[in-house]
Amino acid sequence: MNDRATDHLFRHATAQVVAALTRELGAHRIDLAEEATQDAALKALDVWRFQGVPSNPRGWLYRVARNRALDVLRREANYESKLAQHVEEHATPAARRRGESRDAPPHMRRWTPPAVGEVPFDDAELALIFLCCHPRLSPDARIALTLRLAGGFSVDEIAAAFLAEPATIAQRIVRAKRTLAAVDDRVELTDPTDTAGRLDSVLEALYLLFNEGYDAHSGAQLVRTELCNEAIRMMRLIANDPRTALPHAHALLALMLFQASRLPARVDEEGELVLLADQDRSRWDRALIAEAFHHFDLSTTGERLTSWHVQAAIATAYAKAATWDAIDWKLVLMLYDQLYEVEPTPVVALNRAIALAHVEGPKAGLEAALPLLEHPAMRRYFLLPATLAAFAQQLGAAETATSYYRMALRLPCNDVERRFLEKRLQAVSPGTPLRDIPVADILP
Amino acid sequence: MPKYLLIARDGEEWETFAAQATPADIEACIGRYIEWSERLRSQGKLITSEKLKEGEGRVVRAERGAVRVTDGPHVASKEVIGGFWLFEADSYDDGVELIRDHPHLEWGTLELRQIEEF
Repeated sequence: MNDRATDHLFRHATAQVVAALTRELGAHRIDLAEEATQDAALKALDVWRFQGVPSNPRGWLYRVARNRALDVLRREANYESKLAQHVEEHATPAARRRGESRDAPPHMRRWTPPAVGEVPFDDAELALIFLCCHPRLSPDARIALTLRLAGGFSVDEIAAAFLAEPATIAQRIVRAKRTLAAVDDRVELTDPTDTAGRLDSVLEALYLLFNEGYDAHSGAQLVRTELCNEAIRMMRLIANDPRTALPHAHALLALMLFQASRLPARVDEEGELVLLADQDRSRWDRALIAEAFHHFDLSTTGERLTSWHVQAAIATAYAKAATWDAIDWKLVLMLYDQLYEVEPTPVVALNRAIALAHVEGPKAGLEAALPLLEHPAMRRYFLLPATLAAFAQQLGAAETATSYYRMALRLPCNDVERRFLEKRLQAVSPGTPLRDIPVADILP
Repeated sequence: MPKYLLIARDGEEWETFAAQATPADIEACIGRYIEWSERLRSQGKLITSEKLKEGEGRVVRAERGAVRVTDGPHVASKEVIGGFWLFEADSYDDGVELIRDHPHLEWGTLELRQIEEF
């Protein structure tokens, strides 16, 4: 029970209970679904510590939470009928003729509980993810709400993951719920066209969520594995449901799985960053790679070529090669050319320059990457000067490499990346004092 | 072997903990209690463990020849019995040893009572 895996079982069980209840009650009742589930979780805490975990913990939580929600609704209905009676007694004859007092306002309508049968929790969860990633919400709001409701993370945990104030996240979630209650009350995936149309806003949010975990822009932890795992878990639900398993969903899942397969090799025992070239490939997760190839195959069936398709294809080139030197760089370069067509961003151009350097040498790479320094979006991107430094180093220009590494160190990056850059700087220019860089310049 | 009843009362610390526990906290806490129970069970010592229903109960008294039933007991939360374990131990010393690392001690008190047997 104490290990991380079961810890997630409880979190996921409560999240799925919220999903099933929200589906029954409607989006305007998300708060009630959450509160009732929280009550059930506390009941579980109190009872299970003495009596042990029941054989169907999720069903137990659902039953308790549902009864709790029913109690609240019954009390409301009771109040409502008393109110109606009061209005009836005091209504003017005209209002009585119009029958105004008899019809409760729509938001107070009675809710009749359906009988509890088999609850399709996975289905409810998928529907909840779609609700949380509603296109009317900003990507930030989608991610916060998805993590809170479908992921079962606390506001504090989400705030910590995004280096934001808990109050900011809480506020974002409250606003998002208010928007949802106003725009859409259904928590269903029924209409296939509607589902396909909304899939993109879900995939976009989960892609950002994964990258947030994978790139971890700043802070001590290189990989906030939790966020990556959560994105993958939700993508699996999507890729395994016939209504949502479109080719580009498979492509995105394949991409996430390829990247996640390398997570164990990405930092060494001391927590230091290990470049793809230097990674111990025996530490790559073979099961994830196999799963990634499976979804990559499924992604190649459609008409639409997305950036995720091409990125996943590049990842297959890395995964197929037995060693770093065995990578088919010509293929990788061709794929980056293709990626640049789909996604003409300076970051893609930089990665293309790295592939080019592998095919034609560091000089070609340097020449391709240099113009990117002019790009406004790259001004705070430490990987650009870091890459230029590596090219310069390979060309034997130690002084140029030193100044690029120092430029990189002045840009925002996380602690692990900073130590990596410092090590590189020391290697190319031993004895360079690191501390002469003003602290204010180092901090993002 | 002698039987002992271990009575758990929740302290104010428990209220504080429960009020702000995340799913991860809840899972971890339940896990620690279960780990303790399982250790006893694996040694063949645990007879049963139960949680008493909270916030209700009946107090029955005889008053002037009539049986009087009242709701209760209404006492401060820290005095309420939350639950109990019934287990076997060689002696009080042995029993105290078994509960020395009980997770409940972080949030409340434990009372150990031997069952009379003749």
